[in-house]
Amino acid sequence: MTTEERSIQRDRMRFIRNSLSATLCYFGILFDVFYFVNLYQSDVGTYYYQIFIGASIIYNLLFLLIVFLASEGVKNYMKNYSYLLIAIGVMQVVRIFYIPSRAHAATTMVNGVETPVMGNGQFYTQVVFLVLSAACLLVSAAVNLYKCRELAEHQKTLDAQKA
Amino acid sequence: MATLNIQHIDKIYDNNVQAVFDFNLDVKDGELIVLVGPSGCGKSTTLRMVAGLEDISAGHLLLDGKDITQTPAKDRDMAMVFQSYALYGHMTIYENMAFSLTLRKENPNVIHKKVLAAAEILGLTSQLNKKPSQLSGGQRQRVAMGRSIVRNPKVFLFDEPLSNLDAKLRGATRREILLLHKRLQATMMYVTHDQTEALTLADRIVCMSMGHVQQVGTPLELYDDPANVFVASFIGLPPMNFFDVKVEGDRLVGKGFSVGLTPEEKARLKGYDGREITLGVRPENIVEGSDFKATVTNSENLGMNTLVYGNVASGVKATAKLKGWKSYQVGDTASFSFNRKHFFDKETTNAIRGGK
Repeated sequence: MTTEERSIQRDRMRFIRNSLSATLCYFGILFDVFYFVNLYQSDVGTYYYQIFIGASIIYNLLFLLIVFLASEGVKNYMKNYSYLLIAIGVMQVVRIFYIPSRAHAATTMVNGVETPVMGNGQFYTQVVFLVLSAACLLVSAAVNLYKCRELAEHQKTLDAQKA
Repeated sequence: MATLNIQHIDKIYDNNVQAVFDFNLDVKDGELIVLVGPSGCGKSTTLRMVAGLEDISAGHLLLDGKDITQTPAKDRDMAMVFQSYALYGHMTIYENMAFSLTLRKENPNVIHKKVLAAAEILGLTSQLNKKPSQLSGGQRQRVAMGRSIVRNPKVFLFDEPLSNLDAKLRGATRREILLLHKRLQATMMYVTHDQTEALTLADRIVCMSMGHVQQVGTPLELYDDPANVFVASFIGLPPMNFFDVKVEGDRLVGKGFSVGLTPEEKARLKGYDGREITLGVRPENIVEGSDFKATVTNSENLGMNTLVYGNVASGVKATAKLKGWKSYQVGDTASFSFNRKHFFDKETTNAIRGGK
């Protein structure tokens, strides 16, 4: 890419919204929805960790709200929303070690037979959804941070030219 | 840019209503043609046929010599600006202007350059991040024009673009369009029912009525030498006065007045002696004088001019546009003269331009 092309690309950011970061946020939300639909449609809540399930419902609601808010923020190149997304992205990974891991390790008696609360298939599916959701949010944040820096530098150049 | 040849074009709708009859016009490269006429005269239909938004029932349309009669609108390389702006409300001004190029999958950097250049021309650079709802009517219309400019089309088509604007904004935007035309040197077709727009913008005007072209000419030709009674009445504000008169030697005798003819006027009316014709006189060609008297029915002072409405005789009305501030009262008797006359054949309504 030539210097001119790079300069034009930077200048475009003044008028084009950061739709890549916003779209990644939407995907982050989507994978989280896949995760909790997969979780709540199973018997995990009935057999085990009922308090965790309740807390996770509230957390998921907050997650949807905050990530959507952040998607609007990063769309407009607001740097602070990147840090919020990083925190939430890390939390998505941490969540693997709460309900899915514990449910996967626990067993319950069904008709006198010891049965795992969460089978391997469901566990790995949930891990994949949470990891994908986390990845989307972290990449979204990284892209936004990069673009914010580029835009700020470009704006400085423009201001210097004006002055 | 481009030349446009419109050859014997007709528009007949499915219900057999004919909207345009045998429309012929050669638009030169870089020319601004204004189609003017009252509502329903077929001017917008003609423009839409040129744009490809209406089928051409008969005739041919040539762009740079190539027949595009059957070419779809999207492949005609023409850009149209509508009265209603047709902007996307959820997009920013930048996105609106870039939209057509984005659809064509042009290089984003090229799109960016074109949009900024167009915004610079139209003075929209500071508005690029706004939504259309945040702009005034004039600015929105400029965005619509900008959207056309970025495409760099061969022909620009304007369909009454200023009709939604208030009078002040209309004047300002009209001047901008004129500047734009001078700057781009683009071939443009412009539809309006406003004769002021037509006279101020056009290189040539096409005056239409009932689907027929009445006259094609420069603004001065249409004003100064109208082809028929319709053009004479349509162009000019206030409209031309018309009187039924009889040619009697070197005089014109009408109801309530009689005026003399100059030798040149007499020569033009050769063959009409003893016949009735229509005399046309523009309000600005009526001056205070002694040829005829009128009873003042109304008077409007406009500052630089005074419009005087009067009855010459029973059923014969006249409007005079006198220079300066005049104080006529209703009921006053005023004396006037004609300093310029137009003659029209009473049967054909065509202008009488020479010996018959």
